[in-house]
Amino acid sequence: MQRKGGSRRGLPGADADLVSATFRGTMTKLTQWLWGLALLGSAWAALTMGALGLELPLPCREVLWPLPAYLLVSAGCYALGTVGYRVATFHDCEDAARELQSQILEARADLTRRGLHF
Amino acid sequence: MATGTDQVVGFGLVAVSLIIFTYYTTWVILLPFIDSQHAIHKYFLPRAYAILIPLASGLLLLLLVGLFITYVMLKSRRATKKAQ
Repeated sequence: MQRKGGSRRGLPGADADLVSATFRGTMTKLTQWLWGLALLGSAWAALTMGALGLELPLPCREVLWPLPAYLLVSAGCYALGTVGYRVATFHDCEDAARELQSQILEARADLTRRGLHF
Repeated sequence: MATGTDQVVGFGLVAVSLIIFTYYTTWVILLPFIDSQHAIHKYFLPRAYAILIPLASGLLLLLLVGLFITYVMLKSRRATKKAQ
């Protein structure tokens, strides 16, 4: 009996089976990422080891084998650049900062007057 | 806009990441397609280093993070021991 995904709700119990979870479309983000990585990784491995039997030209092979390291480094650079950009373009509110500092001092003075020790 | 050192640090990080990205892209993606007699090849290390340098720096980063965590944990344990 074949199970169709998505249309049959109310299946009993928590189904932990990965394949049927895929059919039901309830894969978590982690499993989606792992599937994607596994697919890309196996494609890369098959191409680099020549398992598919295609004779790629030498420059293409030279580019292909460091590709995972390259993707990691460029992801790291993107993260670093985005963080730096957001730090540089963050909107400072000088007036609000000064007002907040003065309110903090005021609150401290008030509380010490009432007997709370810092 | 942020002011003073924030801007300097922020744009400095952007510049560093762009430099690293362009150098690494040229090294990994563009060099294999350039004739091996061209003068540009003398500015780049042998290709094996394109994997070794990021790997070594990644491991170094993990080491530093581990050391930092160890240091913080020891300090907090010494603080609780002194409080007892």
